[in-house]
Amino acid sequence: MRMWQRSVLIALGLLAVLGATAYAQVPSAPVGEFPYTGNRTAVWIVAQLHILFAGFILGAPIFVVISEWLGYRRQDPRYDRLAKEVTKVTVILYSMTALTGGLFIFVLLATYPQFTTWLINHFFLIFAVIYPLLFIGETIVLYLYFYSWDAWKGEKKGRHIALGVLLNLIGTITLFVIDGPTSFMNTPSKAVEGISLADFIQTASLWDKIFNYSWMPLNLHRLVGNVTFGGFIAGLIAAYMFMGAKNDEERSYYDWMGFVGNLIGVGALLFLPFMGYLLAYELCDYDASICPYMMADQLSMFFEMQGAMIGLIFLASNYYIWLSMKRIEGVERVRMSLLSMLVMIALPFVMTYTWTIFPAPDPKSLGVLLPLVLAPAVLGKIIPPLGRITVSSRVFIKVGFLMVVVGNAIWMTPHGFVATQALATEHLELPSDYGFLALMPAKNSAAFTLVFVTVMNYILYNRAIRQGTIVWGKIDFASQFVLIFLAFSAIWTMGLMGAVRSLLRKYFHTYNLLPDFTVESFTPTLSYAAWWITGITLVFYIVVSFAIVVTLRVADPKKGHASEAKPVPAGAE
Amino acid sequence: MAEQPSLIKSIVKKGIIGVVIGGILVGVAIALHFPPIFQGMFFGYAMLGAAVFILLDAPSLKPISGVKAVIALVVFYGVLSVVYIGGASNLPQYDPEDEKGKIEKLLKAKRAASEQGKAEELLARAKALSEKADTIMARLQAVGGAAAEAPAGEGGAKPAGAPAAAGDLVAMGKEQWNLQECYNCHKLFGEGGKKRGPELDNIGNLLKPEELRQKVLDPQSWMAEGFEKEYEKKKMPDKYKELMEEKEVDALVAFLATLKNPAVNTPKPIKKK
Repeated sequence: MRMWQRSVLIALGLLAVLGATAYAQVPSAPVGEFPYTGNRTAVWIVAQLHILFAGFILGAPIFVVISEWLGYRRQDPRYDRLAKEVTKVTVILYSMTALTGGLFIFVLLATYPQFTTWLINHFFLIFAVIYPLLFIGETIVLYLYFYSWDAWKGEKKGRHIALGVLLNLIGTITLFVIDGPTSFMNTPSKAVEGISLADFIQTASLWDKIFNYSWMPLNLHRLVGNVTFGGFIAGLIAAYMFMGAKNDEERSYYDWMGFVGNLIGVGALLFLPFMGYLLAYELCDYDASICPYMMADQLSMFFEMQGAMIGLIFLASNYYIWLSMKRIEGVERVRMSLLSMLVMIALPFVMTYTWTIFPAPDPKSLGVLLPLVLAPAVLGKIIPPLGRITVSSRVFIKVGFLMVVVGNAIWMTPHGFVATQALATEHLELPSDYGFLALMPAKNSAAFTLVFVTVMNYILYNRAIRQGTIVWGKIDFASQFVLIFLAFSAIWTMGLMGAVRSLLRKYFHTYNLLPDFTVESFTPTLSYAAWWITGITLVFYIVVSFAIVVTLRVADPKKGHASEAKPVPAGAE
Repeated sequence: MAEQPSLIKSIVKKGIIGVVIGGILVGVAIALHFPPIFQGMFFGYAMLGAAVFILLDAPSLKPISGVKAVIALVVFYGVLSVVYIGGASNLPQYDPEDEKGKIEKLLKAKRAASEQGKAEELLARAKALSEKADTIMARLQAVGGAAAEAPAGEGGAKPAGAPAAAGDLVAMGKEQWNLQECYNCHKLFGEGGKKRGPELDNIGNLLKPEELRQKVLDPQSWMAEGFEKEYEKKKMPDKYKELMEEKEVDALVAFLATLKNPAVNTPKPIKKK
């Protein structure tokens, strides 16, 4: 896409935002009705698409700059190429972010004019001044960053990396700023004693409204989620390019890029369950009735589906490590301590028991769990013969997979197979003695197990690359489908949890404050949501695929890049 | 990595192992009185484990490119879409109809208070006035013959704004119990609860109506015995003073005050404020 085309798209996006503000001044505008979808679903589709594009353009630059810096520091051209290629795709998707953002405001104003005007007025400074300025600033810095890539190299590389850091700084501030109104809709600031919530909000300062219960948890959750998402999309780019590669050099490079993308995605993914817990904890702390609505009643099966998705994502990311190890020559020699394997097996059960006795955040649980996690290293040192008992990498990683399945089973065990607890009968519920399987200690231990196994697998991989030689480009072709699967599933899960976060407002536009009087303010079925989430994911995928093909396939990928065809000793810089 | 067995052999071998392990899990689940749906779930996990191990030992996939790769991708996306939609659709589905009537009732008062509600009310009143005017006109035209006719609605209907009878108030309170979904946390008449909050069948004997009102509007003013831990103090939301109308709170309190069943061990409330 040419510069002028991008400029037109961005101008249209900004016009939409500013025009929408002007439109909001028109009184008694007739409310639009979307055929087939209805208004709420129409807003949902546009908002989710906007968030997906925005998530990528905010997440990708974080690892782009890190990759550029690594390339500069290690003098490895592959990192610089990865950074530049992902930035090319980011630039196109940036235009789509602006376009869908403008469309979002238009659709919102046409369908919910009173609420939209109310929200804009409450956050006037953000919507009219801060956000547009940040967006314009980010646009300028992004284009400067992209177009100065080739000019600012060598001695000027540090300057270019600094520009990338500035881009991320503006991007993160933009995210935090727009999370203000978003989180406010879920958890509007609590009124002081003796004043009604409506009265308090009328006089509350902008900061009071922004700094609500779920603002910081949402910031952190989205920040980590965006990096995960960006990493998996980098993996997707690599998979497409690997599939279309014409020679070994290309295959070698895109194999490496896929690995790095997945590493970033998984690295950030490890923190995501805990960020999710933090957000859920704050939501429940704000209003305890949100918890049963989310976990036990109307949305409980959305969480069951989330459990399935997280489990699949962890299975797939570990499967990718497995396939990656298969292309390391000499991996057979790598062995792991038997004690580590035993701890891996014991962990979910011991954690569930410990957290049941000492519920989080009781620090006493650490007194049991830390020694357990550190036991392999400590015991191996104190009693050397114990440390010398080892198992092959193959056995270790397979047992790890078994534990991922066990962890996922625990995560997905519900209190009852019912849409709401009100419908629970003894034929659909856990026996009372095993009700603990559906409680938070068990769910936390499941999440820790998934994370622990993945970390152990990466430790194993790290040992393998130190003892063997990676043959880049020779990875099992199935791995490319794993990368595509990870990106698709990550997007789908984002859509699912986005729907959950919005639905938590129940029949309110702004929880407990501004009711939604339309006939659509009910909880939809999971099936209905799944159809739309899949549709949104596919639309996003089509646009991203188009952006990848246009920017990377149509252009000559070899131009200006160093050769990476030869297999390199594993771990070589 | 070690020599890979053929895919068919691997599927058969691991499939059998999966079925055996699944069978053992089902046996254990039956012995521990897990309902059939959970037995099926355990069997499903055993088969998932088998599928994972089949994948781990599967032979390498041959590279594909060009049109074949594009077709493979489209099919792959199709399969993923079907699996995700199918998976989500096969889980128990919440029926939105259960909620629609409740939301309508919950928002009735707020809608009336909103600008939109006021406009709707004005229209309704204008319509009623117009109808009344039509009736008067008709009466005037028929004056003489129809003088003995009683005005419509007179006699039987309760005048608007009259206080509700005690029975009505309790019924309204029971409705509030359902609308505000108190049953999600409190067990009553043997239903609902899940131990999040105390069982309330005997609360009418333990708290006076004004104390019940205080608890509903300021949940931390009273804490039930056994529910006083720090993390439990905020379990009951303090939103009802915002969400409920005065008369709705009156009704809920009236309903709660009737709950006097000493056979149920409702924990003793302790005053905190």
